[in-house]
Amino acid sequence: MSISISDMCKNPEKLLEKYEDSGVKVLGYSCSYVPEELIISGGLQPFRLPNIGASTSKLTPTFICQFASAVLENILKFEEIFCGFIVAHTCDPMWRLYDIVKKKIKKPVFFLRVPHNTEGELSIDFFGKELLRLKKFLKENFNAEVSNDALLDAIEICNMNRSLLKEIYTLNSDGKCCVDGFNRLQLTIASMWMPKDEINTQIKALNFKSNVAGSNKARLHVSGTAIYDLNMMKCIEDSGCFVVSDDLCTGSRYFWSNVENYHGNPIYALAKRYIQRTPCPSHSPLQNRLHYIEFMIERFKAQGVLIIANKFCDPMLYDAVHIRDALAKRNTPTILIDYENFEQEAGRIKTRVEAFIETLSG
Amino acid sequence: MSGEKSRSRVLQATKKIGELILEYFAKASEAKAQGKPIAWVTVFTPVELLRSLDIYPVAPEHFGAMCSARNFILEYFKEAERKGYSQNLCSYSRCGLGYALSGMTGLMPPPDILITFRNSCNVYVKWWQSLHMHLGTPLFVGEAPYVLTQEDLDNYVLDYVVKQLMRLIELAEEKFKLKFDEERLIEAVKLSDKASELWLEALKLRKYKPCPFGGRDSASDIFPLVVMQGTKEAVVFYEELLREVKEKVGKGEGVIENEKYRLLFDGIWLWYAFDMIRYFEDKGAVFVYEPYSEAWAYRLDPSKPLESIARKILSMGLNVDIDLRIERFLKNIKEFDIDGAVLFSNRSCKSWSAPQLVTAEVIGSEFNIPYLIFEADMADPRQYAEAQIKNRIDAFLEVLRER
Repeated sequence: MSISISDMCKNPEKLLEKYEDSGVKVLGYSCSYVPEELIISGGLQPFRLPNIGASTSKLTPTFICQFASAVLENILKFEEIFCGFIVAHTCDPMWRLYDIVKKKIKKPVFFLRVPHNTEGELSIDFFGKELLRLKKFLKENFNAEVSNDALLDAIEICNMNRSLLKEIYTLNSDGKCCVDGFNRLQLTIASMWMPKDEINTQIKALNFKSNVAGSNKARLHVSGTAIYDLNMMKCIEDSGCFVVSDDLCTGSRYFWSNVENYHGNPIYALAKRYIQRTPCPSHSPLQNRLHYIEFMIERFKAQGVLIIANKFCDPMLYDAVHIRDALAKRNTPTILIDYENFEQEAGRIKTRVEAFIETLSG
Repeated sequence: MSGEKSRSRVLQATKKIGELILEYFAKASEAKAQGKPIAWVTVFTPVELLRSLDIYPVAPEHFGAMCSARNFILEYFKEAERKGYSQNLCSYSRCGLGYALSGMTGLMPPPDILITFRNSCNVYVKWWQSLHMHLGTPLFVGEAPYVLTQEDLDNYVLDYVVKQLMRLIELAEEKFKLKFDEERLIEAVKLSDKASELWLEALKLRKYKPCPFGGRDSASDIFPLVVMQGTKEAVVFYEELLREVKEKVGKGEGVIENEKYRLLFDGIWLWYAFDMIRYFEDKGAVFVYEPYSEAWAYRLDPSKPLESIARKILSMGLNVDIDLRIERFLKNIKEFDIDGAVLFSNRSCKSWSAPQLVTAEVIGSEFNIPYLIFEADMADPRQYAEAQIKNRIDAFLEVLRER
């Protein structure tokens, strides 16, 4: 299944067609709380559902986050290519996306209930039970038997992928400048779409050297939820900055921590990893997320933070207030970039980022 | 339209609600002065449990509705917006945050603990986290997982919620040096169950023609079920209300003299625009069923108090699977003999509004009754285009008239 990372990121439909041609069963999933390990160990190909390539759905009101609405549109558009879908319970629009999908498509849909309070053993225990229910769903709907050995192998290959991404990412640590935000985003998205062994091989073959041009630019951290649109990252970096770090769920939150001590009870280990990773904006406690952002800024020597939020993304719009407060205490400048439709607003976004960068150098 | 106007009537019980609310807040301040802990809770949290622990529950959502109805919400919105909270966020939360940021000198005493269970929306988690960040008050975030099937009310999902309730008891005992008393909980559960039983019975009587009470009553009269569950006052209120409603049914007295259309209202009420309900009534249309009014009542089993409360937290209207919600919807359209449905696409309540178009499609296909969807906000009057909405209501009533 030879396809270059950059081609695939520009046109994921091509990859989906290839999967279809080669008889690969592809299971679409909504967010980084869904353990790909379980899907892979059942012999299925996970594919995280993006918002790109679709407009907002007419089935949702105009004040619903356009990201969720476009993901819904993609599910409806590509239903035939997928064998089924998993939607995780994060924010309200994604929750209701499940309701709508359930009423609108014929393919099996699984709703994964993720505790919004990620603290404590009770949450891990509950999520573990949800993973067992997911295992049963895979077996019943796709005859995908998840054996213990297959699960251990899948954890291993996913851990490898996460470690490789982290290795690339940390090339920028301590003020170094190697891999820009565009390239890193591309690799992370590819990891959510391509077979793991293939993407791992491609990442291993990469050789990033110091980026001299980038070293003269402002070093910024990007805070947000999910960005799939590489043009958005390009637009930000073309404004005169080098995105050294992020807390996106299509970025570092996807791979920063591995599944640990999984040989004894892999389901528990999976539940623990996914619940205890840095929480997504819709989850609690917020302090863990703020600490993570501060840690990233410190580690990657970011001079400022771009808070990227869809105009109707409730979790980000609440968090933005607290991110700004927390970072103001440590004199890290921030700017909130809210948008509704990136393509139409690219010029405005670029101007705002340029203005922000100017204030950093002043 | 003919311009014919019918006289609207409101229950005597409804007229007492304002007084009950003020008493409720006065007691909250008294409790604070006596050193009793005050909990700010999202609605559909275990109020019965708090009562048994002598923790006084106050619901900022209800406070938001009240501020909106009494037209003093804008100052709190402005305070929240000054802090950076977007106008696109839930208006209850903007009101509550604005109140917290402006010094909490009004009716709600400052909280000693913040308690929420994510059941009707994720906004609860975000709003309560935000309050915690601003006030530094201890925070309890519980999870009531989405109920996918009826079995969830008996399996590990229920068990998870019960364990969280036990954790909440431990936290309250530890934090406020209180002692949990199961007998007191059983007593609170009995009273809460009784209030629910009475309210559900009153709601059922709206099946009568003419309907004995309408939207303005049902919107106001849920208040005791929001934060007064487990009190004798709530039971007394619903006993009186039921007596009055039965009398009206006996006399064949309806909300309006000439009931032409029986309507369903889907959504939270527009607290600042109750005259919209009157506008319908003036044209012969009465709201006889609302999922919102029903959502507050839940029968509890005093022999299994914690399990029972856990089921209640899980089963709140928006937290059950869409098929179960639609099933209930369709059953009631039939039982209440509904002529048309009004669906309020509420900019603040995304968890309610997001799947409404799909629900409307089902209503249209199963019953072939007309529906009206309009967009506004439940508490923010700045997002209410009155003339435009009334035009649409006129058109909708015209469709009903011609059927």
